[in-house]
Amino acid sequence: MTVKDTSATDGQSGDAALARLSGTLDVAIERLERARPFAKARYQGPVLDVLGRIIAQPGGLGVVRQRAARMDAAGLFAGSDWDRPEVLMPQLVGGTLMSEDPAFQALEAANLARFLAVADGEARHDNLHQEGARHFLTQVLALNLKDIFGVPDEAARTLGARYDLKRKVLTHIADHVGLNDVLSVLVSEIWRLLEQRSVQVGVVKDMIAQIAIALNEKGTAPGSSRLGAERLVSALFGPTTASRDDPGIAVYLERLSVSDESGLSREAMGFARAMHDTGLVSDYHAAFLTWALEYGDRPLIPEALGLGSTGLDCWRHYRGLIENLVRRAVTPATPQAAYGLAMLLDRGILHHAPMVPALERQLALRIGGVARERIALGFGPAVSPETYLLAGVLRVLGQPLGVGQGANPTCQSARAIALWALNDPDYLLHLITQVAEFDTLLMQFEGTPINSADLPAGLAGTGPIDADPVSVLLVAHLDRIYAEMGRLCAGRPGDPHTWINPQFHGWWVSRDCAVAVDVATGKLADYDDFLRRFFAAYHPDYNGGRPMGHPQPAGIAVTDAQQTFVGWHAIAILRVAEDQSGRMRVYFYNPNNDSGQDWGDGVVVSTSGQGERYGEGSLEFEAFLSRVYLFHDEPLRSQFGQEIPEEVIRIARDQAISSWAADRQTG
Amino acid sequence: MTDKNPEKGYVALLGWSLNAIDAVDRFDRRYVVVAPPWAEDYCNQNGIPFVPWDFDRLNERSHELAHQLDEMGVDVAIPIFEETVEWAGAVNAVLLKNPRLLGQAMLFRDKSLMKRRAQLGGIRVGVFEEAHDRGDVIRFLKRVNQTLLKLDGDPNDPIHFKAFDKSGTAGHRVIRTPEDVDNIPDEEFPALLESHLDGWEFAVEAWIKNGKIQFLNISEYVTLGYSVFVPATPELEAHRDRITEEIEKLIEVFDIDFGFIHPEYFLTSDNKLYFGEVAYRPPGFNALELIERAYGFNGYQGLVLAFDPKTTQEELDAFFPKEIEDAKGHAGCFGVYPRRRVVSRLEIPEETANHPYFEFHELSDPREQKVAKRSAFGTHWGLAYFFGDNAHDLRDLLKKQEELDYYV
Repeated sequence: MTVKDTSATDGQSGDAALARLSGTLDVAIERLERARPFAKARYQGPVLDVLGRIIAQPGGLGVVRQRAARMDAAGLFAGSDWDRPEVLMPQLVGGTLMSEDPAFQALEAANLARFLAVADGEARHDNLHQEGARHFLTQVLALNLKDIFGVPDEAARTLGARYDLKRKVLTHIADHVGLNDVLSVLVSEIWRLLEQRSVQVGVVKDMIAQIAIALNEKGTAPGSSRLGAERLVSALFGPTTASRDDPGIAVYLERLSVSDESGLSREAMGFARAMHDTGLVSDYHAAFLTWALEYGDRPLIPEALGLGSTGLDCWRHYRGLIENLVRRAVTPATPQAAYGLAMLLDRGILHHAPMVPALERQLALRIGGVARERIALGFGPAVSPETYLLAGVLRVLGQPLGVGQGANPTCQSARAIALWALNDPDYLLHLITQVAEFDTLLMQFEGTPINSADLPAGLAGTGPIDADPVSVLLVAHLDRIYAEMGRLCAGRPGDPHTWINPQFHGWWVSRDCAVAVDVATGKLADYDDFLRRFFAAYHPDYNGGRPMGHPQPAGIAVTDAQQTFVGWHAIAILRVAEDQSGRMRVYFYNPNNDSGQDWGDGVVVSTSGQGERYGEGSLEFEAFLSRVYLFHDEPLRSQFGQEIPEEVIRIARDQAISSWAADRQTG
Repeated sequence: MTDKNPEKGYVALLGWSLNAIDAVDRFDRRYVVVAPPWAEDYCNQNGIPFVPWDFDRLNERSHELAHQLDEMGVDVAIPIFEETVEWAGAVNAVLLKNPRLLGQAMLFRDKSLMKRRAQLGGIRVGVFEEAHDRGDVIRFLKRVNQTLLKLDGDPNDPIHFKAFDKSGTAGHRVIRTPEDVDNIPDEEFPALLESHLDGWEFAVEAWIKNGKIQFLNISEYVTLGYSVFVPATPELEAHRDRITEEIEKLIEVFDIDFGFIHPEYFLTSDNKLYFGEVAYRPPGFNALELIERAYGFNGYQGLVLAFDPKTTQEELDAFFPKEIEDAKGHAGCFGVYPRRRVVSRLEIPEETANHPYFEFHELSDPREQKVAKRSAFGTHWGLAYFFGDNAHDLRDLLKKQEELDYYV
């Protein structure tokens, strides 16, 4: 038996112990191998028990890797999620490696050893290809970079041996897979997320911080991934000439005080460029903006926000308001407000008459009672709840499609906030004021008044605290109102969204509604008509070339990469247009935090490069339609779908039938 | 699937044991599992041949089972648990057309009858008596200690209390004081009372065919109810010839033609062998697994060979290795009980984890358990397995485990 990777420092006794444990492991594996499938479970425990001791030994992971394929074939993973390596999720690995139960740690280590063996070409697996294994391991490393390089924090230290083991396993993988790969995967993943311009960037900022540590401690070969990585790191930690060496805010402000005019201009433009490049705002940028408020010689703020012509026009009209917004919203705890503000100004919505007074009201707002506690609970005490909320308002109004639901079942509420921010920004501010001051929301459903304070908690319970400040404030109330509207629809035939969506969102939601399935049976109902009607309503070639005026809520049947139905999900159709290559695409908003999803059978949602604007996802028209189960349509349309060719209908129908609608056909 | 040999016997396993099913499924004999109906879905899902049966008290329905198995072409029934020994006897009496087998099984199922039969056959047993109530137990405790010339106030020599029809350490109590007697629940009567024998306690596993021992293993107890290992120390194995003679006496006295027995003995300080009891089924404490670890053959498959009337002597000779000589080492296990009143997690003691003889454990998580006060020899929380070359080191290591906390 050859034992690779044995550390020299541990010497003979370590080698002997490892050799002995390897022998014991073989005994345990043989018993597992012999056992019939129905008796595997009993023999898995002993294997995991020995594995747990081996991986703690220097060189132990090498021993495990050599036996990984054999253990897999013997049935170590039988009966667990790990039995299907193709569906494992890299983001769960880190947690399992630190599980309280040593058996889970051992199982995960054995699983990673299996991926390593396949990635290295030492072993083969029917459902795991070399490239796939390598990609998975790279993602695992990328998601846990700080545990490879970083100094353990207090939480990690208290975990003791559990944390050491995780670090050891990750380091072993890194030694084999190499970190260049990891950096490039991580960097492209971050760019992919940044392209979507989410309101919440905490996770992305964390990942960039991990990259900064990695570059600093290990260094990597020069190359395109290093360039991409450095672009990210500099955008956060040193985007301009005077901040390039990450000197700290105090030193940086001293440098500003002795800078000349052209130097200040260069700083302002440097910040603007980095911010619009990434959507991220450096702490230095926030400090610069605050400093610029007091700089009397000339206004630096438009330059530092990188405003376009519309934004500059707003600045000229509403300079006082904008300066107040910078003063109150852009702080070291809320730097991203600067990006929100820049985007808000360039949207030109300050020219919409109610907006200026609404923002003035927002500046004067005092948050009361429960709402105040919730904001403080969600964001901490660094700045006042009013500042968090104002910063959140600027971000939501500047990046409406960046609103995400977090880890909460509240896609309907998140979608509503995004659509109001896009379409009805003054109405959104009106709702925020109600909740902030009175902890209630008043709405109507077909004339029946609804007061959220009187209603029981909805799907999201007391509401999320892992979302943006506007969502933290509103979602619990929206959720209850949405549920109440559902109750008021009880007993009506058909899908309640038909009535709820227009009542909940606004007049601009079309009043007619098409549903692909019969609500009672869940089976497809008049599906071809449904498809024709969608073409007639949304496809410019078949609706008389009319562009969409307002975004329209729609329901999709989400499927996974295996085309298996996952669930119904709320999205909004934003526009239908040709992409660069002339293919008709539907551009839509998904309140899910990351729109880039693989729905199987080639239906992969694109988030950039196909004509998408920030925050949009897109699919070719037929592919999108194949996942739609509910959409809104104008009631006043005398004829639809007459001249739509059968073949375009068939494409969408076939893709639906081969996925979510597979068992929903009638007859 | 291993190809099943239609020329060989077709066996029925009475009782549900996944270990036994797994082993027999891998063997070349056709088999069927006879177990309670709750196992049916599991068997259907896993392709395990199955006959549902409720093993309550033996009753007139035993004939029904025997005929059902007979019609299926089953040749012999193998008891897996104490509770199915009499069922196997009743069924085999029909299948093998040998009514005596039922009577034999009843002897194995009644500790008192068993002991008397052994005594009548000239086998040395300790002092024993039957107890129907607590008064009987007190009387026996007093009499034994009077006999030992103990004075009032001297600590009593203990006596052993064993429920008639329980297996192994279940229902086995050590009684020293009248208070111990009060703690015996009503349902454990009637019971067998035995004097305590100071000495070396061990068990034997013997596979028997045609009235001859095919393989004889000696399992040495380190501490009853805690730990056992095989093969035994050279000091105990030195008595192998005498032990073999004792087993042959058992075979004669109980008229055993085939099967498997698991008797327990004491070797006292005056070098006398005392018979404790005998069971006609596989032992607890996973002793068959220890034997497999040491010798490399599967004990359940050995059981099938020993029961199957179509087994040839050549098969047996090829199957069983040579005692002691062919052992690859000594295999032992330790039954872990939590030592503390309150425990929160399982943590293998470091000196155990680092010991070269320690192999692995099958201990359950404390979050699924409550620490019960031990009265009878209760159920352990799982076993820790050891394997090594030196029997003395293994014995000392097993003894040492009794002082260590596995649950903290």
